[in-house]
Amino acid sequence: MNRRSSLAIAVSSVLALAGANPAFAAASPGQPAPGFTVTDLDGKAVNLADYRGKTVVLEWHNFGCPFVQKHYRSGNMQSLQKKYAGDVVWLAVNSTNKTAWDYTEPAKLTKELRDFGAAPARYLVDEPGTMGMAYGARTTPHMYIIDPAGKVVYNGAIDDKRSTNVEDVKTAKNYVVAALEEMKTGKPVTVATTTPYGCTVKYK
Amino acid sequence: MNMRIFAFATALACAVFAAREAPCAPSVKTEHVEAELVADKASAQPGKPITVGLKLRMQPHWHTYWKNPGDSGLPTTIEWILPAGWKAGEIQWPYPHPLPVGPLLNYGYEDEVVLLAELTPPANAPDARANVKAKSKWLVCKDICIPEEGELDLVLPVAAREPPPEPRWQAHIDRARNQLPVDARGWKYQSALQGKSLVVLLTPPEGTGAPAKAAFFPEREGLIEPAAAQKVTREGRALRIEMKLADPPPAGVKAVKGVAVSDAGWPAAEGRKAINVDAPIAASLGVAAATTSNTGALGGGTLLALLSALVGGVLLNLMPCVFPVLGIKVMGFVEHAHGEARAMRMQGIVYTIGVLVSFAVLTGLMLALRESGTQLGWGFQLQSPAVITLLAALFFVLALNLSGVFEWGAFAQSMTSNLSARGRYADAFLSGVLATVVATPCTGPFMGVAIGLTITEGAGMALAIFAMIGLGMALPVLVLALFPALLKKLPKPGAWMETFKQVLAFPLYATVAWLAWVLGAQAGNDAVFALLAGLVLVAMGAWFLGRWEHLQGGWRSAIAIILAAAGVLVAWPGAVAPMTAADAIPAARAGELPWQAWSPEKVRELTAAGQPVFVDFTAAWCVTCQVNKRVALNNDAVVKAFAARNVAPLKADWTRQDPRITAALSALGRNAVPVYALYVPGEDAPHLLPELLTPSLVLAEIAKLPAAKQGSAITQR
Repeated sequence: MNRRSSLAIAVSSVLALAGANPAFAAASPGQPAPGFTVTDLDGKAVNLADYRGKTVVLEWHNFGCPFVQKHYRSGNMQSLQKKYAGDVVWLAVNSTNKTAWDYTEPAKLTKELRDFGAAPARYLVDEPGTMGMAYGARTTPHMYIIDPAGKVVYNGAIDDKRSTNVEDVKTAKNYVVAALEEMKTGKPVTVATTTPYGCTVKYK
Repeated sequence: MNMRIFAFATALACAVFAAREAPCAPSVKTEHVEAELVADKASAQPGKPITVGLKLRMQPHWHTYWKNPGDSGLPTTIEWILPAGWKAGEIQWPYPHPLPVGPLLNYGYEDEVVLLAELTPPANAPDARANVKAKSKWLVCKDICIPEEGELDLVLPVAAREPPPEPRWQAHIDRARNQLPVDARGWKYQSALQGKSLVVLLTPPEGTGAPAKAAFFPEREGLIEPAAAQKVTREGRALRIEMKLADPPPAGVKAVKGVAVSDAGWPAAEGRKAINVDAPIAASLGVAAATTSNTGALGGGTLLALLSALVGGVLLNLMPCVFPVLGIKVMGFVEHAHGEARAMRMQGIVYTIGVLVSFAVLTGLMLALRESGTQLGWGFQLQSPAVITLLAALFFVLALNLSGVFEWGAFAQSMTSNLSARGRYADAFLSGVLATVVATPCTGPFMGVAIGLTITEGAGMALAIFAMIGLGMALPVLVLALFPALLKKLPKPGAWMETFKQVLAFPLYATVAWLAWVLGAQAGNDAVFALLAGLVLVAMGAWFLGRWEHLQGGWRSAIAIILAAAGVLVAWPGAVAPMTAADAIPAARAGELPWQAWSPEKVRELTAAGQPVFVDFTAAWCVTCQVNKRVALNNDAVVKAFAARNVAPLKADWTRQDPRITAALSALGRNAVPVYALYVPGEDAPHLLPELLTPSLVLAEIAKLPAAKQGSAITQR
């Protein structure tokens, strides 16, 4: 599984390099989640297969983005990360390439995460963008939920108020919360796909 | 407190302008955007809508978003705060531009965008200054995104009088209006989900064509993968746009709404580049069925087109460049009039096949090149100086032959009197090819529309139309061959035939002279000299062949061929520095129209300023164009009429390849020159004049225009 999935990523990254318009993959609800092996901020390898049997939340992240800031300034994202820490593995992913204006060095990023009180289980540094492309992540934030069987059950926005206004967090319907609560009670996820909103992921 | 100071400052700023009864709208500057409200008119009328706009001027390379922002981003919002009783319409969005960001794609605007909306004061609005306010939010992005907002004011006088235009803002509003998608008349839209693709089919109204290229921007977010390349192809007359569906596609989509954008513009869409598309999703497109029923039923338009192609083909025979070839052929028949009827019939058929095959080859070549993306139209062969040079040499050799300088001798006998049956067929076939090659410069009067159809009707129709033109051209010879009895009506063979043959040489010399002039227009004076020097060598070769005709042995032909080859080598046009359109247009002389170089922008500019525009789509190699110019356009009465009605004459010169002109012709449903288009300000589509002009015809068309205002500037150069 391990080998095969990293092979799949290798192949897809080759495809991505080959085409003028890289084949942008997708992680659709009902399909097996694309496997990955990515190093985290502490330099440790993180593999999706390690979390078999657990629910995994993926959050595409970049503090340079005002949409991400909205969810951290309001404390929304951190509180979710903490609230579900017992039930799910929350992985923040950063696919920003090194030449981008809002790329942040790991040391500075670690400090910023601490200052904001962010609490993802791991923070994945996907600087080559391979994992982001395999998932078809287009914005920050862009949220995915993977069920214990390794299937994608949610792909889309964090909530239904596409704005940078901190006030909107209070009144928004949070799709990730709705999906996680349904999963807790053993129900299928009602809203499994939404259009993500935010800043463009700055791929290579 | 802050707010109040701000509002006061605004009112103070606007009070300065109050005396002038002009609208006032101070601009708001953020870090990356300068925002301002603008209005179409200097005042609003009670109960009548007025167009206003939110003008966003972005810093270079920064962009804001369309209503569907694409892969990321946020559409700009406007919240109107209006005096009591006022109503605001929806935002009218100019068509978006694709903005790639790495592997992703956004839809939006760089530099400047004006989002338009209609505001309507109540019928009982008092004659006073109205305070219109807009709270707007926009996301402006380059590498990073900044959410910005602004509170904008517009102080607008309300008055019952006819509102005067507002010169400060008019140009901005007009530009935005021109970029609004429109509902094109008579177009049909269909769409279907095919596997992982979304296909939208745009079918133009009967008798017009779809542009070759277009991009589709769906209104609904998350419907397609914005960054995946759109595959645009022709399907019959329709344009087919295939897009990659989003994965997973949204559920419950019943129709695909959006905007289709083509740089070439759309027929029946007021010359706009963008049209609104609303395509219900069908189980299948039924394109194949529709196409077959089209060809099966042969609509009136198609039949008419085929018929005009036939008539046009027949008329081609009368063109100075084709006539000698026809003459030679008919003379051959006269000589053989008492020979075998069957052999003659076969010859006529083979000649026809020769014509049809060459037309098919030329059409195939044109279609193949178009398919590969080269913008070409009929007559494209003559846009190359090399082809012109070869044609000139060919015509010159034929003319020398007719003048009696030499006979074809051993390798081809004479074109008229080859005795072996096989040689006769080869001869008939080759004269068919020759007739086609020489006919291409002379687009016959009826052929314009027929040829125009070929670009819109797909390859099958194109081949059918050109086959009809070929058939028409071969028809006189074919009829004579099939009904030899007709030949008896022609004079008996005799000494007159030699004289007639020699006389036929002169139209060919004239054609050479004309080709030399075309080459001059394409490649300049030096190329003309090279051509003429080369022709001297060719003449020497021909003379050699004729002078020592009685001698046997291969060396005579060898020397003649070497001389002719040397001639072509000398004449061969080298690397030609392309001349700009401006070079090509000499200063106007007295008694001629003051032509200016054509560009689509120029047409828009002038018509927007209220000036009628006459466009001459022409080329040096187009005989009909030259005749029209001399006879009907550079005519004293016409020149005066143009000046009196302030008509701007623009010249679109297609002598060399120009994709913009090809695109413009295609938008008019044409694919060959001449085309004469009269654009009248305030009218959507130009008036197209016939391809054969007469002064009275042009005058009648011009007379329909309103007279120019007293004292207004006459056409300037």
